[in-house]
Amino acid sequence: MSSIHHIITLFKKDVLLEIRQQYSFYGILLYIGATVLVLQTAISEPETKVWNGLFWVIQLFICINAVAKSFLQESKGRMLYFYSIASPTDFVLAKLLFNSLLMLVMSVISVALFILFLGNPVEKVWSFIGLVLLGGWSLSLVFTFLAAIAAKAQQNAAIMAVLGFPLIIPQLLLLMRLSNAAFNPILTIPVNTILLLMALDIMVILLAVILFPFLWKD
Amino acid sequence: MRKSWWKILTVILLIYTFTVGLLIKIPDLPALEQTARNLFYHVGMWAAMMTLFTVSVVNSIRYLRTLDLKYDIYAREYATVGLVFGILGYATGAIWMSYTWADPNNPLFESFSAVAREPKLIGTAVAMLIYFAYMVLRNSISDMDKRARISAVYNIFAYAMLFPTIWIVPRLLPSLHPGQDGNPALNFKDVSPEMRMVEYPAFIAWALLGVWITTVKIRLSILKERKLAQ
Amino acid sequence: MKKLKHLIAIAALLITNLSVDAQGPKESSVDQLMRSNGRIYVVVAVMVTILLGLIIYLVRIDRKIGKLEKLNR
Repeated sequence: MSSIHHIITLFKKDVLLEIRQQYSFYGILLYIGATVLVLQTAISEPETKVWNGLFWVIQLFICINAVAKSFLQESKGRMLYFYSIASPTDFVLAKLLFNSLLMLVMSVISVALFILFLGNPVEKVWSFIGLVLLGGWSLSLVFTFLAAIAAKAQQNAAIMAVLGFPLIIPQLLLLMRLSNAAFNPILTIPVNTILLLMALDIMVILLAVILFPFLWKD
Repeated sequence: MRKSWWKILTVILLIYTFTVGLLIKIPDLPALEQTARNLFYHVGMWAAMMTLFTVSVVNSIRYLRTLDLKYDIYAREYATVGLVFGILGYATGAIWMSYTWADPNNPLFESFSAVAREPKLIGTAVAMLIYFAYMVLRNSISDMDKRARISAVYNIFAYAMLFPTIWIVPRLLPSLHPGQDGNPALNFKDVSPEMRMVEYPAFIAWALLGVWITTVKIRLSILKERKLAQ
Repeated sequence: MKKLKHLIAIAALLITNLSVDAQGPKESSVDQLMRSNGRIYVVVAVMVTILLGLIIYLVRIDRKIGKLEKLNR
C-alpha cells in the first residue's frame, strides 16, 4: 500500500518537474522536429524499407536523449534525500513509469511527424502505432536502467549509448521486422514476436527491481 | 595432484579433439567438404567464449552477494579471456567463410554484408560488443568498490538481455524470412552422430582450456593486487 | 585494454590478409592450395590461427609475470 503511494508520489514529482521546467520536453520535441526536417530535405519520399529503418534509428536516439537526464539530473544531495524517504524499488519503478510515459508521448509525436513530412507508407496504421508504442516502451525501459548505471559511473550520455547499443540491437531488429509486416498488406504480424518483446520488457523491469538496490547504495 | 585432475582432462580431451577430429569419417557435404571438421575448432571457440562469459556473470552475482573484491577480479578475467576466444572465433570464422560461403568469383567484401546478416553472427557480435562495453565501463570508473559494483550490475543485466537474443532470435528470424535459411554451414542440426562424438568433447576441451588460462590470469592479478597493497 | 587493442590489431591483420587472397586473381596459388584435397587446408589454417592466437596470448601473460617478478626482486 505505502509502496504504491511512494511510487505515485515520486512519479508526480517527476511530472511536476517536467511541467515546471519545460526546456527538456521542448528540447526533445525540437530534436524530433529538426531531425525530421533534415530528413525531409535530404530524401523527400523514402521508400518503405528506408522509412522503416530511419524511423527506428531515430526513435532510438530520441529515447537516449529523453531518458538520459532522468538520473543525471538528480544531484548527490537530492539522491541522499530520496534514499532516506523511499526504498530503491519504489524509486526505480517511479522512474521507469515516468520514462515510459515520456517515451510513449514522444513516440506518438514522432510517428505523427514522420507521416506528415515523409509520406505515409504504412498500410495498417493502427497496428503500426501499437507497435511504435510497444517499441517506445521497450526502449525506454532498457535505457532507463542504463541511465542509472551511467549516472552512478558519473559519466555523460555517451557511455549510455556505448552500453546500450549492443543490448538494444536484438529488440530493434525484432521491431523492424514486425513493422515491416505493418507496411505490407499481405503479411500478418506474428503474435509470437510481440509476446516475446513483452516478455523481454517484463524481464527488464524485474532485473531493474532486483539490481537497482545495488547501484543505489553509496 | 588432487586439484589438477581437470587440467589432465583438458589435455586428454584436446588431444582427442585434434587426433580423432582429423581422423574420423565425416559426411561429404557439397560446399563444405572436409571443412566441416572446423565444427570442432571454430565452433569450439564460441562454446568456450559463452562458457567463460557465463562464469563471469556467476562471479558478478557472487560479488554482489558477498562484496568480496576477489570475485570482481574473477569476473573481469573471465570476461577478458572470453573476449580473446571471441576474437579467435571471428578470425577462424573469417578463414572458413572465405573458402566456403564466399563465391570465388565474387570478392570477399561484396559477399560480406550477406554473410554478416546471419542471425548466429548477430548473436555473437552482440555478445562481443557487450563485453567490450563492459571493459569500457570498468575503465571509466576510478573508485575500486564502485567499479566492482557497477560493472557487476551491468554484467548481470547485459547477460540476461543477451541470452534471449542468442537463443530466440536465430530461431525466429528464418520464420520471418522464409527461403533465406538455405545455408548448409549454419545448419548444425544435421550433424552426424559420429561427429557428435567429437563435437561435445571438443567443446568441453576448449571451455576447460579457457578456464585454465583464466585461472592463471586470476592468480597473477591477485598477486599483483597484493603487491600493490603492500 | 592495451592487450585487447593488440589482439584486435592482429585479428584485423589476419582478416585483411585473407581478403587480399580472396580478392586477387581467381586462381591464385593460395586459393588453389586451399581448395585442394577437399579443402582440408582450410581446417589447417583455422587450427594454426587458434594456436597462434593462444600462443600470442600466452606470451603476453608471460611478460606480465616477468614484470611482476622484477617488482618482487
